Amino acid sequence: MTLLSDIGRFLLMLKGMLKKLENRQMYWKELMRQCTEIGFGSLGIVTIISVFIGAVSTIQTAYQLVSPLIPISTIAQIVRDTVILEFAPTLVCVVLAGVAGSRIASELGNMRVSEQIDALEIMGINTKTYLILPKIIAAMLMIPLLVIIAMALGIWGGRLAGTASGIISPNLFDKGLMSDFLPYNVFFALTKSYVFAFILSSIPAFYGYHVRGGALEIGKASTKAVVVSCVLILFADYILSALLL
Amino acid sequence: MIEVKNIQKKFGDKVVIEEVSAQMEAGRCNLIIGASGSGKTVLMKCMVGLLQPDQGSIYYNGNSFTAMDTESKTMIRKEIGMLFQGSALFDSLTVEENIMFPLNMFTKDTTGEKLKRVNTVLDRVNLPGVNKKYPAELSGGMKKRVALARAIVLNPKYLFCDEPNSGLDPQTSLVIDKLIRDLTLEYQITTVINTHDMNSVMEIGDYILYMYQGKKEWEGTRKEIIFSKNQRLNDFIFASEFLRDAKDMRMLEETGKIPNERDMDQMTRP
Repeated sequence: MTLLSDIGRFLLMLKGMLKKLENRQMYWKELMRQCTEIGFGSLGIVTIISVFIGAVSTIQTAYQLVSPLIPISTIAQIVRDTVILEFAPTLVCVVLAGVAGSRIASELGNMRVSEQIDALEIMGINTKTYLILPKIIAAMLMIPLLVIIAMALGIWGGRLAGTASGIISPNLFDKGLMSDFLPYNVFFALTKSYVFAFILSSIPAFYGYHVRGGALEIGKASTKAVVVSCVLILFADYILSALLL
Repeated sequence: MIEVKNIQKKFGDKVVIEEVSAQMEAGRCNLIIGASGSGKTVLMKCMVGLLQPDQGSIYYNGNSFTAMDTESKTMIRKEIGMLFQGSALFDSLTVEENIMFPLNMFTKDTTGEKLKRVNTVLDRVNLPGVNKKYPAELSGGMKKRVALARAIVLNPKYLFCDEPNSGLDPQTSLVIDKLIRDLTLEYQITTVINTHDMNSVMEIGDYILYMYQGKKEWEGTRKEIIFSKNQRLNDFIFASEFLRDAKDMRMLEETGKIPNERDMDQMTRP
């Protein structure tokens, strides 16, 4: 019953966002602020995760490829495809659900309990449009870009680790990267990143916006937002893989 | 003028406000008083449209607010300023940006004009030179004054104050009360104040509505409250022996049995 009620309130929240803007300039400013916070604010963690994921993928793939019949350049192919298909979009978005998602939930939750949302309502501002819509749009603009950066950095990290540990030479790695490349994989990864971006921005916004109580409830809402976002991202990952691959 | 007619509000089975009616005139400080949980905040939230009453109507200058469509309600809300209990300033914005926010959202003024208006209202609340500070750098009383400046920046017709003195020392409370009263008179605003601060009741209560367990128990002026025989009201207002003595003194003054030599303005001056 609570689940159905939450789904209903979530859909009403989405519907409530689609209203006429009071002042386009103010909304644009808020969108840019959110793009900066979600995009540039998460760049550091995305860089670190991507490089290490790529590096670990190379080492672990080499460890498992024991047959002398398989060419060594296959390592690069496997690293490329796992990074593009799974690690860059899914793992990065799961981490972003924690970083950006908890920030969105706690920001809105704090605004709710300190009556800042009520203050905006009293001014005659549609708070769902002003506070939630820019966050979702910003996430859908910036997260696919972060995923593209994560793909490049992941592959670069793999190449770096392969070269540094003597597993594979840079030339062989580059040769492997170029062979049997499917551009559709990038399209698939970007499709996933758009869906995940929507999940990791709208779910925390929902929990943050509807917080009731005080500081304890903000913490609970933030945790719940991250957990639900992660579960939904993994569920969506499965559905999209089953449908599109 | 704001008119409340037979407002009722329930949360589940619990009736929080029952058949409350009141008339709040412009240019007066209209106080809603009552113990915690008596329904005064819910009544105020119904009046500003943050909550929808289950029954009854609210009229702003004769226009039914409860029956209006969303667009008309938004138009009325643009004429409302509200001072929240916790000030509700936007943490990420400076004082200047906080006050400028409604101007940015609803006016097409130039930046210079907006800045001039911000400085005017900051002067009006006796807070010059804090433009670039963040809310976290201000004291409770300063936050209230900034919130008041933001509430009046668009020259509202209606000003709502939810417990404006909570968490403030008695002297700062008097300053805030005096400020609200002066602004009410100066701009002929219909001011509605939610409070259980007895100083406010006696200093600025032009019209007082006493709520008890969700119902209107008593209404009148600050002079009438002195002579009221309502036991619940007297128990609430004059709860301590000191306040009961003060009431007796005031009664004697009002009936001319002892001279009243006090000057209200002097008393409220910080």
